[in-house]
Amino acid sequence: MSNYAYSPPPLKNSVDMQLQSAFSDGNWPTVVRLASKRFATFKDPYYEAIKICAESQLDGTAEKCAALVAIDELVKSKKTPDIDALELYEFACRDFLGYEVEYADGLGPLRARWVKANATSPLAVQCLQSCLMYWDLVSAQQIATTLDKTFANSPDRRYMFWSITLTFLLSISPQCTEASRKIYSMLTVRQLEKAADLTESSEKLEKTARGLLTEEEVCLYYKVLLSHGTKEEFLTRLQSPKLGAIAQLRQSRKLLFCEALDVLEKWGKWDHIYNLCREALNLGLEEVTTPFLVCDLRIWKKFASSASKATDNDAALAEVQKTLNKFIELKDKATPMYKKNISLALLETTFKLPSTTLNPNHDQSGLSPRVVQIGLYLDQYYERLAAFDDIKGYVADLSFEEIKSFMDDVLPKIPGENPENKNEIIIKAMECKLRYLLTTCPQTLSPQSSVIDGESQRKPYKCRFCSRPASSPCEFCLKKIVSDAADTYSKITADKELLAAIPGLDRDPRLDLAVAMGTALLKLAGLRPYSSDATHSLWEVIQPSLLFQAVLLLDNQLQITPNDNGLRLLLIQLYLLLGCASYAYQLWVPMGVKRTIQDALSPLFFDRISTIAPGLFQGTRPLMEPLRTYYSYTLQNPSPLRIWDAFSSGSYTSILDMTEYDKTLRTSCTLMMTLVEERRATRSFGGKIDIDIDDHPLTADIFDDTVLVNKTDYGSFPNLESVYGAPIQEYLRLGPGLSNERSHLHYYTEKYLDLLTYKVPQPYKPAKPADAAAREKAYTLEVLSHVSETLTTLLQSSQSIPLTPAEHTYFSILSLLSSAVSIALSTPRTDSHPPETLSLLTTSIKSAAGTLRTGFSTTSTEKIIGSLTELHSTALARDTGIAIKQSAAFVLAWNEKENARDRSGRSGLHKEVISEMKALEAAGVKVVGEVKAHFGKLKEGLSESGWLDRVLEVTFPEDGEDEAVRRVVKGGEEEEWAGRVVDSWRESVKGWVSVNWQ
Amino acid sequence: MANFRRFRPEDLNKLSKCNLDPLTETYELGFYLQYYAKWPSLFQVAEDQDGNIIGYIMGKLESSPDVYKFSEHYLPWHAHITAVTVAPEARRLGIGKMLTEQLEAAGDDGNAWFVDLFVRKTNYKAIKFYESMGYSVFRVVKDYYGEHSTDPTQDSEDAYDMRKPLKRDVKREHVREDGKNHEVEPTDVW
Repeated sequence: MSNYAYSPPPLKNSVDMQLQSAFSDGNWPTVVRLASKRFATFKDPYYEAIKICAESQLDGTAEKCAALVAIDELVKSKKTPDIDALELYEFACRDFLGYEVEYADGLGPLRARWVKANATSPLAVQCLQSCLMYWDLVSAQQIATTLDKTFANSPDRRYMFWSITLTFLLSISPQCTEASRKIYSMLTVRQLEKAADLTESSEKLEKTARGLLTEEEVCLYYKVLLSHGTKEEFLTRLQSPKLGAIAQLRQSRKLLFCEALDVLEKWGKWDHIYNLCREALNLGLEEVTTPFLVCDLRIWKKFASSASKATDNDAALAEVQKTLNKFIELKDKATPMYKKNISLALLETTFKLPSTTLNPNHDQSGLSPRVVQIGLYLDQYYERLAAFDDIKGYVADLSFEEIKSFMDDVLPKIPGENPENKNEIIIKAMECKLRYLLTTCPQTLSPQSSVIDGESQRKPYKCRFCSRPASSPCEFCLKKIVSDAADTYSKITADKELLAAIPGLDRDPRLDLAVAMGTALLKLAGLRPYSSDATHSLWEVIQPSLLFQAVLLLDNQLQITPNDNGLRLLLIQLYLLLGCASYAYQLWVPMGVKRTIQDALSPLFFDRISTIAPGLFQGTRPLMEPLRTYYSYTLQNPSPLRIWDAFSSGSYTSILDMTEYDKTLRTSCTLMMTLVEERRATRSFGGKIDIDIDDHPLTADIFDDTVLVNKTDYGSFPNLESVYGAPIQEYLRLGPGLSNERSHLHYYTEKYLDLLTYKVPQPYKPAKPADAAAREKAYTLEVLSHVSETLTTLLQSSQSIPLTPAEHTYFSILSLLSSAVSIALSTPRTDSHPPETLSLLTTSIKSAAGTLRTGFSTTSTEKIIGSLTELHSTALARDTGIAIKQSAAFVLAWNEKENARDRSGRSGLHKEVISEMKALEAAGVKVVGEVKAHFGKLKEGLSESGWLDRVLEVTFPEDGEDEAVRRVVKGGEEEEWAGRVVDSWRESVKGWVSVNWQ
Repeated sequence: MANFRRFRPEDLNKLSKCNLDPLTETYELGFYLQYYAKWPSLFQVAEDQDGNIIGYIMGKLESSPDVYKFSEHYLPWHAHITAVTVAPEARRLGIGKMLTEQLEAAGDDGNAWFVDLFVRKTNYKAIKFYESMGYSVFRVVKDYYGEHSTDPTQDSEDAYDMRKPLKRDVKREHVREDGKNHEVEPTDVW
C-alpha cells in the first residue's frame, strides 16, 4: 500500500518470530532462506511473496524483477489475490512503478479484483488510496464503483461521490479508451442529474439519500455538466429553486455564483449575468445574506457590462444605478474595502452609461460626468498606494477634451484649497504617472499629413498636449515628464519636513517619480517591445546615454527604497539586458523567491540565463538546484499532491482543480526552462549530463502534442502603460517570454545533442556486432528523422514564432544539421551520385552560421558595451558552432567506427559525405574560434583602466541631456553605480572565458 | 478593487504581490494544497482587478488527536488560522479583518468552540490587530519560533497562542484573562 513505498509492510501476525525479526531487521538472505522453507512446509503462497519481496532487496537483476513476474502471473490467473501478498509485491517493485512498469497493468487491477471480493473490508479504501497514489484511474474508478454499490445506503455519502468523481476524472483522462469515454461521460452526468432531481423534488434530503447536499457536491455537478452536459441543461439548472446559483447564495454559498458568472461571460450570456448579479446584490440588500457578500468589484463590473449590453440598456443601467444607490446608502456600515468597491462601482457604471445619457446636450467642454466621477474617486483615495492602478483604465478611456479637463482643472484641485506639502507632492507624483500613461494613449496624438507647407514631415503625428510633431510616444512630452518629475523629486529631497513625512505615507512619492522618469527615459532611449522580426541589436537602436541614465536613476531609487519589489524586478530585467547578470542576481536573491512561487517567478531571472552568464552556474550551490528540487519533490508521485486529502475530506471541486493544477505544473514552461538552462550550462563547462532529456523523470508527461504552459507572474511590475500598448515587461525582456513553441524547440534540440554526445558504456560488447550496428543505425535514423521533422514543423508552424533572432537561427541550424546527419548516415557508400540535398543543407548551415557572428567588435568603449548587451546572441553563436562541429564529428566518428567493425569497408560512409562533413567541421571550429577570440578581446578590453569614467562618459556625454537625472542622483552615487556595472561585466566575461571551447 | 472568493490552485501563480513581501512566508506546494484539499472553504483570497492575489487566509477546523484527549493541553473542536496576509498595496482597507471574519463565520458554521492562532510575541502590530478583533492571549508557547525576528542574538522566540471564543462557547470556557501567565512548551501544542 501507499504507506509502504519507503519501508516494507509488516508481516502477518501468523508468521513465526524468527522470520518476523529477520524481515524487520532487513536481513534479506535469511528471509529468503526462511520463507522458502516455510513455503515448502505450509504451501502458503504468502511465504513465497515474502521470499520474492526479500529477493527484490538483493542485487541480482533477476531477483529484483521476480515480483513483476509474480504480479503478472496473478493478473493472468484471474483469482482473487491475497491482499497481504499484494502489499509485499507493491513494496518489492516500487522502484519500477511509473517507469518500466505501469501500476495500471498489474497491481491496480489486482487491487480492484480484491476489493470486488472483499468490498466491506476496511482495507478496500486503502486499495483505492493506493491506486490513486499511482494515478491508476481505471482501477480506482472500479474500486470506487464497487464501494458505492456496497455502501449505497450508508450515511457516508463519500462512496457515491468518489465513484462519480472518479468516473468523471477517468472520462477526461488519456487513460480512458475512446470507446469507454462516451459511456463514462454519460454515466457521470446521469448519476448527478438523478441526484439533482432528487434534491429538487425532496422537501428535505435525508443524509442517506443520494441527492446533492453539500456545496462541494453541488459544484461538482455543475463542473460535470459544464464538461459533459449541454448549455441548456446548465442554464436551466442554474436558475432552479434549490440548486440554482441564487438558491445556493441564499445559503451563503458563493462558489457556484462566482464560477457560473465566468462561464456565462465566456458564453456571452449577458442577460443571464445581468439577472444573476441583480438578484445576488438584492439578496444582500434584503438581508437574506450578509449585505456585502457579493459586493465585489468584479460583480459590479459584470453587472454594469451586462446592463450596457441589454436590449433596453437605458432601463438596465438605471437598475444598476438604483441598486448601487441603495448600497451607497449602506456605505457607512461597510468596511473600507467595500466602501472602495462601491466607489469604483460608481465609476464603472458612469463609464458604461451611453454618451447620450451622460451628455444629453452634447456639451463639448471636457468636464464630463466621467471626469467628475474620477475626480470624486481620487478625492477619497488619491493618497492610497493603489489609486493610480484603480483609475488608470478609466483615464485612458477618456476623450482628449476630457483628459485636458481632468489634468488641468480637476487633478490639481484634489488636495484641497490649502493643501499640506505632502498632499501636493502626492498629486504631483500622480500627475507625472498619468502624463506618462497618456503618452501611451492614441487619443493624445492626431495624425498629421506627411507633407506640410511643401515640407515632408518626419513625424507622423501631432501631439495634442504639446502641439508639436510627434512619433508615438511624443518625445517632447516624455522629456517634459522627466523634467517635471525631477523638479518634484528635488523639491522633496530639499525639504526636511517632506522627507520626515514620507514614512507616514502609503508610498514614497520619490518611488513613483523615479519610475515615471525611468520608464520615460527608457522610451526616449528607444527601447521598444520585443518583436521577432527585430533585425538590429539593442545597441544599434537605442541611445546608450538615456538607457544608462534610466538604469542609474532607478538603481539610485532602489538604494533609497530597497523593499520595493516592483522596482527591483524592473532593474533585474534591465541589468540582464545590459549583460550585468551577476549584479542582477544580487538584486534577485533578497526577494526570496523559493518553494511554490518559483514556477511563476523564476523565469523573471532564469530564462536564457545560461546564454548571458554561464559563470553564475559555477557557484558553490548549483544555480538551478532550488528549482530542480522543487519540481522533483513536488512531482515525485504520479498523482497530484495531497489528492487523497481531498478525497477523504469530500472536497470534490478541490480534486478536479488539483488535478488540473498538477497537469499544468507537469507541463510547465518553467520546468522545461529549468532543465534546459542547467543542461546548457553544464555543457558549457564540459560537464557530464547525467540523463538524456527524454529519460528525465520530469519530462515523462511531455509528448509531441503536449501544450507547455507559461504561467510567468508579472503582477508585481510597476506598469504605467495603458491597454493600448504592450506592458512594460515586453520592453525589458531579452526576448519573447517563455512559450510552448520555444520549450518544444529546446526539448528537441537537447534530444539531438544527447544523441550526438552519447557514449557507449565501455564494457558493452555485443555478441552480434553487425546486428547491433544495424539496430543502432535504425534507432539513430529514427531519432534524427523525428527531431528534424519536429523542429521543421515547429519553426514553420506560425508566422511569428516567439524567439529571438539568434534563437531562430540556432534552432534552424540544428534542424538542418539533424537532416544533414540523417542523410549522411543513410546515403549508401556505393551511390554513384550522393544526394544533392546534403550539399544544399551544408551550404545553408554555413551561410546561416555566418549571420551569427556579425558585429564582433571591441574597438571602442561603445563597441565593447554593445558586445556586452549581445551576450545572448554571442552565446548562441558559440552553441551553434559547437553543434555544427559535434554533428560533423559524430558522422566522421560513425564512419571510423563502421570501418573498424567491418573491414570490408562496405559499411563506411560515402566519400562525398566525408568531405562535406570535414568542411562542416571546419566551419564549426571557425565559428567557435571566433567567439572565443571575441571573449578574449572583451576580457582584455574590460581589464583596461578607466572604465568607471568610460561608463559615466557614456551615461553623461558632453552634449547630452542629463540635467534632470543629475538633479536626482547626487552624492557620488553615479560612480558607485558605474563600479557595480563594470564589476558585473567583468564577472560575466570571466565566466565566459572559462567555458569549454572544444 | 478587491474581489473575495475561495482559493483556487492557479492562484499560486499570482502570489507575487503578497509573497514577495518579506513578512509573508512561502510554503511548499503540499502545504497550500493540504489546506485546499481538506478545508477549501477556509482558504479564501482577495484579488485585484488583474487577478493578482492581494490577500489570503488559510485555516482549518480540527481538534487535537484523540490520543491526547486526557491531556491538559488537549484542544477541542476549533478553527485555526494558519496564515493570513495582505499585500502592502492593499493594507489599511480592512482586508485582513474581513478574511479573518470569514474564517470565524466558517468556524461558527462548523460548530467550533473558538478560533486560535500563533503570533510572534514581538509582532506588536499583529497582536494589536487581533486584540481589536476580540482575540486574547490564551497561553505563551516558549521558543515556538526557531529564530528571533528582531534580535539576532536570540536563537528562538516565544509565541502567543491567541484565541477568540465562537458562538458555541457561550460561557467563555475556552478563553482566559491571564493567558500571558500560562507558559507551555512547543511539544504541548499541535
